[in-house]
Amino acid sequence: MSTNPHAPATTMPLLSAHRLSKTYRMGRVDVPVLRDASIEVQQGEWVSVVGLSGSGKSTLLHLLGGLDRPDRPQKGDRDAGTVHFEGRLITTLGAHGLNQYRNRAVGFVFQFYHLLPELTVLENAMLPAMKGRSPLAWFAATPMRQRAAELLERFGLAHRLTHRPNELSGGERQRVAIARALMNEPKVLLADEPTGNLDANTGGEILTEISNLHRNGLTVVMVTHDPAIAALADRTVRLLDGRVVSSGS
Amino acid sequence: MPFIAVLAVALCVTLVIVVVSVMSGFLDMLKDSGRTLVGDVVLSKEVTGIPYYRELIEEIEKLPEAEAASPVIETFGLLQMPYGPDSDRNVKSIEMVQVWGIEPATLSRVIDFQKTVYWKTPDQQTAETLAKDDPRLDPSYNRLQEAMAMRGTGAPALPGIMLGIEMSLFNERQRDGSYRTSRFGSGTQERAYWMPLQNVSLTVVPVSESGDIDFQQKRAFSIVNEFQTGVYQIDANRVLIGLDTAQDMLRLSESVLLDTTNLDENEMPRRIGVSPARATTILVKAKPEYSPIELRNAIEGLYERFAMEKSTEEGAVEMPYPVSVRTWEQRLKDLIGPVEKERALMRVLFSLVYVVCAGLVLAIFWSIVHEKTRDIGILRSVGAGRTGILTIFLAYGLTIGVVGSAAGLGLAWLVVDNINEIHTAMGEPAPRWAWMVAAAFAAASATGALVAGMRGSVLHTLLWSIIGLVIAGIAALLYYHVGVTIWDPSVYYFSTIPNKIDMTNAYQTMAFATIFSVFGAAIPAAKAADTDPVRSLRYE
Repeated sequence: MSTNPHAPATTMPLLSAHRLSKTYRMGRVDVPVLRDASIEVQQGEWVSVVGLSGSGKSTLLHLLGGLDRPDRPQKGDRDAGTVHFEGRLITTLGAHGLNQYRNRAVGFVFQFYHLLPELTVLENAMLPAMKGRSPLAWFAATPMRQRAAELLERFGLAHRLTHRPNELSGGERQRVAIARALMNEPKVLLADEPTGNLDANTGGEILTEISNLHRNGLTVVMVTHDPAIAALADRTVRLLDGRVVSSGS
Repeated sequence: MPFIAVLAVALCVTLVIVVVSVMSGFLDMLKDSGRTLVGDVVLSKEVTGIPYYRELIEEIEKLPEAEAASPVIETFGLLQMPYGPDSDRNVKSIEMVQVWGIEPATLSRVIDFQKTVYWKTPDQQTAETLAKDDPRLDPSYNRLQEAMAMRGTGAPALPGIMLGIEMSLFNERQRDGSYRTSRFGSGTQERAYWMPLQNVSLTVVPVSESGDIDFQQKRAFSIVNEFQTGVYQIDANRVLIGLDTAQDMLRLSESVLLDTTNLDENEMPRRIGVSPARATTILVKAKPEYSPIELRNAIEGLYERFAMEKSTEEGAVEMPYPVSVRTWEQRLKDLIGPVEKERALMRVLFSLVYVVCAGLVLAIFWSIVHEKTRDIGILRSVGAGRTGILTIFLAYGLTIGVVGSAAGLGLAWLVVDNINEIHTAMGEPAPRWAWMVAAAFAAASATGALVAGMRGSVLHTLLWSIIGLVIAGIAALLYYHVGVTIWDPSVYYFSTIPNKIDMTNAYQTMAFATIFSVFGAAIPAAKAADTDPVRSLRYE
C-alpha cells in the first residue's frame, strides 16, 4: 500500500502518544493493559494496530480518541502518559475540552456498529452534529441534515435514510457508522475492528470505503487482528502484552 | 419502559385529582347549598321568636349592606303521610319532620326559592338537559303558582304544604336524577301516585316563653308542591308551610294580652296590650359588594339600637336578648368544618402519592439507564459530556412528568365528568354481555397459554396464564356483581356526586408530579452520567 500523496513529507505528527500506560481494576486485582506504549501518526497516514486479544489495541485506540484517560505517570516523569493532537496536549484537557476533541477532531467506528436503535439511519448519522443544539434541530431542514444525507448517499444508503438500524444488513450498519464518524469532518478516523463482525465480502467493501477515504486525505488508525487487513495500511504497529514491539511498513 | 413511567405518573395524578376534586366539589356544594338555603346572615331566636319582626326587617333592608330579608318560623312536628299500613282505616305513616314556616314571595328575594320548587315547568335551558319523558316537561305537572301561594286549590282550600322530594316513598328517583311518580294499575285504570294531589296532617307543639308545652296543634294541609335542595338531609326531613299558618299553630301570631287578675265590669280579664306576631328566624341577603361578616356586624348593631328604641316605647313588649346573629358559614360550621378538615387530611395523605410517583420513576429510569448503557457510551464517543447525558435523562424525566401529568389530568377529567354515570353503572347489575365477553377473552387467553406451552415458551405460557386468570376474575366479578352504592345520599347529604375538577388543585398536582418525576429521574441520570463509555462500548 502506498503512502497517501496528500501527506506532508515529514513534520510534526498529527497524533502522537508517548509512553501510555493503562491499568484496569478487576475486583481486587490491578490488570495492566497498556505499558509505556508510544505511537506517532502522520497527517494522511493509515496506521494499523495489530496484536493478540488482550494486547491493548482497543485501549490504545480509546486513549488516542480521548474516550479514556491514561494512568497518571510517576512524579517527575513529565513526558510519560501524554497524547498530542496537532501538537496540542490533549491528556490534560478538561472534560469539556476532551468532549470537543471527540466531537470535532476524531471519529470512531466500532466492531459492533453501535448505532442507536430508536433513531433512523439519517438521525444516527447526524448525531455528532447534534451536540450543543436544540432537539428541535432534528426536525429542521438544516445544512447538517443535508450533509448527513450526502454522506449516506456517498455510501450507497440514499434509499435507507428513514430506516431503523435493525432493518439494515451488517455492512449497511457499518456504513452508517462510518458516515456518523465523518459527520463533523474529523481529521482522524479511529476504527476498532470495523470488519470484525462482517463476512469477507462485506468486510472487503467496508475496507474499500475506508481506503477511499484515506486516499482522499483522511488519517486512519485501525485496530485489527487480521494481518491481511493490516497489510492494507501504510504502517503497522504491533502490540504484545500492552507494549509496542514493532512499528514499520 | 417510558410508557410505563408515563402511565405510573398519569395514574398517580388521576388518583389525587379525582379524590381532591370530589372532596372540594362536595365542600363547595355544601357551602353553596348552605348559602342558598339560609341566605348570608341568619338572625334567630328559637322557640319564643322575635317580635316586631316586620319593623325589624324594614330597618334591616335600609342597611347599606343588606339587600333583602325574609321571616321564617322553624320548629319540629309530626307529619301524617297520605299513605300507610292501612290508609283506609286511617292508619297512616307518621314522620318526624323539621317545619319551616315561610313567605314564598319575600323568601324568593333572599334565596333562590323558586329554583328548589320541583314540580314546575323548567326554563328552556334546563328543559334541554332533561330526559324527553321527564314529567316536568308535561305542563299539567306545573304547580309553581300553588307553591308561591302556599294554598291548596280544593274547596274548601286547605293551607298548603311542600314536602322535601325525598320524603315520599312514591317518588322514584331515576338514573337521570329526576323523580317519577309510582304508577298503579294498568291501561285506562293506571294512575300515578302524585304527591301534589294528596292531603296530609301536621302536628306541632307550641311552647310558651317560660318553656311550658301547650296543647298540640294538628291541621290538615294540601300538598301544593315538593322541593329539592340537593341536600339529602333537608330533602328527606323538611316541610314548608305558610308563615301565617305556622304562627297560628305555634301561637306566635299577634294576640291580645289580658290581665286575668284584673276583671272589668263584665267580669272579663282587662286588656292590657297586644303581643305582636313573631318569627323565630330572619334570613338576610347581603348586597354583592358586602361580605356576610360585614352584614352580620351591621345587623348586630342595628338590633341593639332597635331593642333599645323598643324598650322606651310605651306598651311595647321587650325584645329578646341575646339573639343569635350568624353568617351562613357560622351557622353551618358543624356541617362544613369536619369536611374542610377531611379535605386537608386527604391532601396531606395523598401527598405521599408524589413520593410513590418519584419512586416509580426512579425504578423505571434505573432500569432504562441499565438498558441504555451502551447508548450512553455511543453518545459519549461522539462527544457528549457527562452534563449532556445528565441533562438528557433529566429532560426525559421532565417530559415523562409533563406528559404523564397531562394524561393524568385528561383521565381525571374523564372520570370526574362521568363520575355519576360510573357510579350509577356500578350500582346496577352488570349487563349479561359484559361478563360473557370477559369470559370469551379469558377462554382465548387460556388457549393462548396452551399453545405457548405446546411450543415450549415458559414466558408466554406464564403471561397468557396470568392474563387469562385476571380476565376470568373480572368475568366472575361481573357475573356476581349485583350493584354497589358507594355514594349513599343519606351519608353524603347530596344526591349526586360532585363532578367538577378542582383546577387549582389539578395544576398543583401536575406541578408536584412533574417535580417529583424529575427528582425520581435525578439519581438514575447521575448514574448515566457516571457511566464509563469504554466499558459500555466494549462488548455487544
